[in-house]
Amino acid sequence: MSNNGSNPMKPFNGRLVKIRDLATEIKLFQIELLEENGRNAFLTYQPGQFAFVSSYGGGEAPFGITSIPEQTNLLEFAVHRHPHGKTTNVLHRLSEGDPIGVRGPLGQAFPMQEIKGKDIVVLGGGIGGAPLRPVINHIIEHREDYGDLTILWGAREPSLLVFTEEYDSWRAAPRTRLHLTVDHRPPEWREGNEGLITTLLEMVSPKADNAVTITCGPPIMIHFVALTLRKLGFALDQMLVTLEGRMHCGIGKCGRCNLGDVFVCTDGPVFYHSQVAEFLESFL
Amino acid sequence: MRHISHSQLLSLLDLVAKSQTLIAPKDMGKGHLHLRPVEDSSEIVFEYTRTDLSAKEMVLPHTERIMRFENRSGEITITDLFINKDQVVFGLRPCDAHGIASLDSLFIRQDPVDRHYSKRRDSTTLVGISCPQMWDSCFCTSVGGSPTERKHLDVLLTENEDGYFVDCVTERGEMLFKNIELEEVEQTRMSNVTLNDSVPVPEDNLWPTVFDHPYWQQVGARCLSCKLCTFVCPTCRCFDLRDEPVTSNAETVVHERIRTWDACTSPNYRTIAGGHNSRPQKGQRIRNRFYCKFHYYPVDYGAEGCVGCGRCIDVCPVNIDIVEVLHNVDTLLRQPATEVKEETR
Repeated sequence: MSNNGSNPMKPFNGRLVKIRDLATEIKLFQIELLEENGRNAFLTYQPGQFAFVSSYGGGEAPFGITSIPEQTNLLEFAVHRHPHGKTTNVLHRLSEGDPIGVRGPLGQAFPMQEIKGKDIVVLGGGIGGAPLRPVINHIIEHREDYGDLTILWGAREPSLLVFTEEYDSWRAAPRTRLHLTVDHRPPEWREGNEGLITTLLEMVSPKADNAVTITCGPPIMIHFVALTLRKLGFALDQMLVTLEGRMHCGIGKCGRCNLGDVFVCTDGPVFYHSQVAEFLESFL
Repeated sequence: MRHISHSQLLSLLDLVAKSQTLIAPKDMGKGHLHLRPVEDSSEIVFEYTRTDLSAKEMVLPHTERIMRFENRSGEITITDLFINKDQVVFGLRPCDAHGIASLDSLFIRQDPVDRHYSKRRDSTTLVGISCPQMWDSCFCTSVGGSPTERKHLDVLLTENEDGYFVDCVTERGEMLFKNIELEEVEQTRMSNVTLNDSVPVPEDNLWPTVFDHPYWQQVGARCLSCKLCTFVCPTCRCFDLRDEPVTSNAETVVHERIRTWDACTSPNYRTIAGGHNSRPQKGQRIRNRFYCKFHYYPVDYGAEGCVGCGRCIDVCPVNIDIVEVLHNVDTLLRQPATEVKEETR
């Protein structure tokens, strides 16, 4: 946990360097931190960690960090605008060059050390792909450290698929496969399959032996992906997941993101399904 | 034991009010008694049961401006807003001090320290008054407290015929009396309060076994999600953050980030970005509140999540009674097959 002048609730000042449309209602924000203490705090953040993004005056909200420090000095966040989301609406109205605050990095990361040498299956649904992009890019940056990488990437429709411009480089990486699916396939879209990600998962049918899965998406997707993985022979402690919780502080104080006695912000957001199974309260 | 006369105490409080913010029980009219800043001891109410809200609001205000953002043509200055004057909270009951001790366990003793809370806490002296009796809804003695509990206070005063016995618990408390000559009196027993019947409070580690019991749906069925129980509670600490515009001019736009009380019983408390709500039922939300008190607080922070003040019993418009719930959970734990009779009151 990095503190800003010993106050963990205080954002680091940043500037919105670039905004790019990622998908329908989803923008990629690239942020430069303006001060030394902010840059130091984000020197070594890990895939799976998150941060609060502040539009000064429009509130702050937590987002998975979607960049990796090996590839850029900028911090990247994918922000999905929701009709009723106060902060995401304000963030979407910002322009390049505008000031923006970042508070973090926060939360437990994916255990990238622990899963070295294993085959990795990444399953992303919609905006759930955002916190998984760092996993994919980390593995590609350190390709020799990991086994086969299988990416199952889905969305409701093609216009909601995120990071499409990176698919070619993912496909080109050694021992890496990308499988796409959309719930409803328009006739002109030929890049992947039609159906839920669980259907794609059964089709691709990755081997459980020496493998780990990493899933992020809506709770209902996480639930059914886990059931399908069980059928394919994966054990609960081979399945990593990153959960979402509404939160205001990210440091275990505001009480908002608890699932039983677990806090998504500090105990997670990354968990093994074997941990999730022990939760007193369901995330569903 | 040292003793202070009523008139001596009034002069002392008048003196305190000159150098610090003196907060004390104050009659707000129409039957409302609140802890409020007072400038003169004559404003203080000494005969009362308990204040409408607990002393929580003195360390975790219902609305606290924690930060200011000044935007001068795109250049941002962030200023932390902290309490800038010491405060003496006079006249709180021992259970309210117990509640603050529980808040300390998560805001201060659990890393990272909450700077706004800890600054406020460091600026605060707690001068409590022993309860002359246990009122109908009180059950502090069942959750580790007592009407004369001193340990979470800086000073405990206990009334007798012509003033108060003075028990300075901490050095901070002792400081308040350093310039005043107190009479030494022979006294071993300060108070003789008749205690209410004790309430069975199941051990924290037993609660998980009844988490999925249909009883919680029954409790929730009556709940109005009005959040009153959480607002009056000395230990409910959930908060929300939001930004508010303050005065602006052509060159400078100013916003403040405010922290406000939140409540886990509100319907959309657990709704996440895509609209998914993992606690859509009232029973699930009220269960969370009770588990926070009797399982999460002890497990996560090693502290009591309920101090037995009884305020939630008094304010609940549909008579959800924490004491009744504790009795029922205790019964369920002993006889899991029991059906709890629907409340008919």
